[in-house]
Amino acid sequence: MTNPFQHGSSSFGGDPISSSSLPTPVGQRRSSYASVVSGASSLSRPSRHNFHHLLNPSPDNDMYSNLYSTQRNSRFDAGMTQGRNGASGEDGLPSVAWQPRLGSGLPYWSRAFEPYICKDPLFPNGVVPDDGFSSLLNPTASPAFLSPSYLRGSVYLQRLEDAHKARVAAEREGHAAKAQAGAGLATGANAHPQTSKIPAGSHRGVQYEVVEKTPSVEDGAAVSPLPSRWNRDDKDPSLDVIGDGYEAKHIGRSPGDHEACAIRADHHMPALCGVYYFEVLIMNRKREDTTIGIGFSSRTVSLQRAPGWEPDSWGYHGDDGHCFAAQNVGRPYGPKFGPGDTIGCLINFRLGHALFTKNGDDLGIAFRDVNFKDVKGKLYPTVGLKKPGDHVLVNFGQQPFLFDIDGYMKKQQKMISESIRTADTTKLAPPLNETELIQQLVLQFLQHDGYVETARAFAEEIHAEKQALNLDASREIEGINIKDDEDANNRQRIRRAILNGDIDRALKYTKSYYPNVLSENEQVYFRLRCRKFIEMIRKEAELNLLIEKKNAARARQGEDDEEMGEADAHNPWEDQMETEDGTDSAVLSKLSHEALEYGMELRSEFNNDPRREVSKHLDEIFALIAYPNPLKVKEVAHLLDGTGRVAVAEELNSAILMSLGKSSRAALENVYAQTLVLLEDLRQDGGDGAFVTVQNVINDIPKPTML
Amino acid sequence: MPQTSSTSTATPLKHAFEARVSDVKSPKSDINALILDYLTMEGYPKAAAKFSKEANLQPQQKDNLIVARQEIKQAILEGRIEAAITSLNEVDPEILDKDPQLHFALLRLQLVELIRQCNGGDINPALDFATKKLAPKAAVNKEFLSDLEKTMALLIFPHDNLAPELGALLQSDLRQITATKVNEAILVRQARRREAAIRQLVKMRAWAETSARSKKKDLPDRIDLGLYGEDNEYNENGHEPMITT
Repeated sequence: MTNPFQHGSSSFGGDPISSSSLPTPVGQRRSSYASVVSGASSLSRPSRHNFHHLLNPSPDNDMYSNLYSTQRNSRFDAGMTQGRNGASGEDGLPSVAWQPRLGSGLPYWSRAFEPYICKDPLFPNGVVPDDGFSSLLNPTASPAFLSPSYLRGSVYLQRLEDAHKARVAAEREGHAAKAQAGAGLATGANAHPQTSKIPAGSHRGVQYEVVEKTPSVEDGAAVSPLPSRWNRDDKDPSLDVIGDGYEAKHIGRSPGDHEACAIRADHHMPALCGVYYFEVLIMNRKREDTTIGIGFSSRTVSLQRAPGWEPDSWGYHGDDGHCFAAQNVGRPYGPKFGPGDTIGCLINFRLGHALFTKNGDDLGIAFRDVNFKDVKGKLYPTVGLKKPGDHVLVNFGQQPFLFDIDGYMKKQQKMISESIRTADTTKLAPPLNETELIQQLVLQFLQHDGYVETARAFAEEIHAEKQALNLDASREIEGINIKDDEDANNRQRIRRAILNGDIDRALKYTKSYYPNVLSENEQVYFRLRCRKFIEMIRKEAELNLLIEKKNAARARQGEDDEEMGEADAHNPWEDQMETEDGTDSAVLSKLSHEALEYGMELRSEFNNDPRREVSKHLDEIFALIAYPNPLKVKEVAHLLDGTGRVAVAEELNSAILMSLGKSSRAALENVYAQTLVLLEDLRQDGGDGAFVTVQNVINDIPKPTML
Repeated sequence: MPQTSSTSTATPLKHAFEARVSDVKSPKSDINALILDYLTMEGYPKAAAKFSKEANLQPQQKDNLIVARQEIKQAILEGRIEAAITSLNEVDPEILDKDPQLHFALLRLQLVELIRQCNGGDINPALDFATKKLAPKAAVNKEFLSDLEKTMALLIFPHDNLAPELGALLQSDLRQITATKVNEAILVRQARRREAAIRQLVKMRAWAETSARSKKKDLPDRIDLGLYGEDNEYNENGHEPMITT
């Protein structure tokens, strides 16, 4: 077995302490993935044995935990916890958890550190493919996604992740297509629940919704990836890249006095991040002096020079502790550094400065007032090694950092949110003040979108407030007149029908009130028809659940009866078949029959539709037939979810508004969209916009769930 | 991908910014969440209940909590401060003890209301209230003292010709501001959030525009919110709205 990931991967499943401290679903998912990848090596065990391991450690496992667990626990657990909470950006993890255990008595070059070195990047939650199946088919198809903790929640990382997921999904789809070439409704009905039928990323809802969530302005140009490895093609020949590409070592002869051997990362540091950070561990075995420079440079800079000596390069050198800003002469900056030290390099694109850290401590600003984004060419993380044997390991965010970069990032975000908090809103729609403006925005949205009753109730409540504030008894406060807008009523009636799952009624209303809308908006029509099918399946599934519940109740009843001595060697299952449940099962089979029939009809109606998303969505929903009760299968239950109704209802509502010549957007939606675009502009060069997102505002709202 | 945005209505005159705005999505689920959050947080219980029904969303807070906050808000807006304090103590008996600023703000508003009532008439109830309720608190806090002094000046000067600073005390704004403070204080203790998300969004929108203009980003002269309908939407010169029909 020559899998380079074997060591690191199996450690996820093999370490009883770190796995069992995780909630089971996460732990199980990880370990099963790990064991698949590592080819079920003897070190990895299914996680359900974790507790057993703890109590009765087996020899191989014992060795494992003795060697590694002390070091790994803190870092790995911290990393994984971070992975779960990181997306929200609100994990209250104490930074202490990130402290390394370098002082544990082992020399830093000990093989005990191998798990750090030869391991996969940490997986943030949701990025690990959740069915190990496709990974088994093609282990290299889904490379792990690099997700440095301090960038989680940023638009930049979100876009990278979306691109990554799209890639993984596309690759899997390729598989699925091969696996079930020619499969239609009939085979769909027989498909095994675990096969590739389940769409990638299914936990996130119907595929098209995922696409919709990503504003199109934000996926325009391809997002440049983060630096992830040393670049084997961008190095001095005396250097060698070892292992997975994180380590670089000087294996040649000593260069001349004014020379050094440099290597750059594979990708540049994206200004879009606002802040970029990486750390380098000096791994030299010999304690004698090392001459290593750490910094960043553009690609035009000679690889025979240490970072900082040449124009468009900056660096901090360990032999004298000086920092160099694009010239041969440095200035005293920080302490010297050498073997065992971890040096971090932080670029703040917004403020135009850079600083270094040593073993987690901030050394202060090294370069200021540099317009990094205007440097000719992009800037790449760079190290310069001078002496043979010089050896470094880089952390581009695949592991937790020593420096509290998350805290640094939070401070940056706080600065921005403070200026947002004090922003002047009176110029948005004079003469309205903020409170009045918001009232108008809400009221206009309610009327625009046809929430007639809410609009009326809200208008009354605002009016009562205005009246209370009126100190001049002679002045009459005018009430807000919510017109009895027939059109708004109609639209609300249609929405109501869809939200209640009554698609037929919605179709009927739409046809009679707005006869052209459906023919002019084929996509919406298609969605409605599909939703009807989904509702039929849902109805069937719900009845199924009900019958099951009844059966369970009766079974219990039966047991009670037995205990009371009225044993009636009667199978409770047979029992219900004969009683009134006959009607239930009759209804059930009728429903299922109708659903099938309607499905056929739907299939034949759209059979010749050339659009990829149409056939894909049809495949997706027809797969529901395959399950005895899709509501109980979490991979597909989301298709039946009520949120799907809202999506369809709003699509139809927009189409109707458009057909009436009204803006499909209310003012509040304009505010939302304008803010997105403005932030996008502010984000371009790593400015203020890199530190805030509209999504974070939305995420502050406690999640209301569907009724 | 379903194209439901209003790109099709784009006219050649549109600024590139406007075109980009039309192209981004503004998911209804987000907008609906903003609305329900606002109605709940700022205390509009009837509208909140109707909206969770009409939009099929689960209420964010129990109805009685919203109603209680609204009743307190309404009492303050109407100038019935004593009633507001009583209800506030029912909702959260500790809140005023833990927040002396808030308590003082309410008592001072009550004094203003008493002074308003006695305009030209008997000033004894106001004096009495100031001596008994406010003076002890002002004695230990300089800010309170200065606020109290200013308020007492209202007793001396005729109300129809007050310095702006004093005049402001008699405006309804003070009730509004105090009501907001009280609501936020209750919210922080109930839900650990101070203000509705829509306020953050509106502030973010204002800040982002100012910030983008100061960085000389390419923006139209005016970015209209579209509050007053289509025709007012965007117009290259920032002059009269174009009439398109």
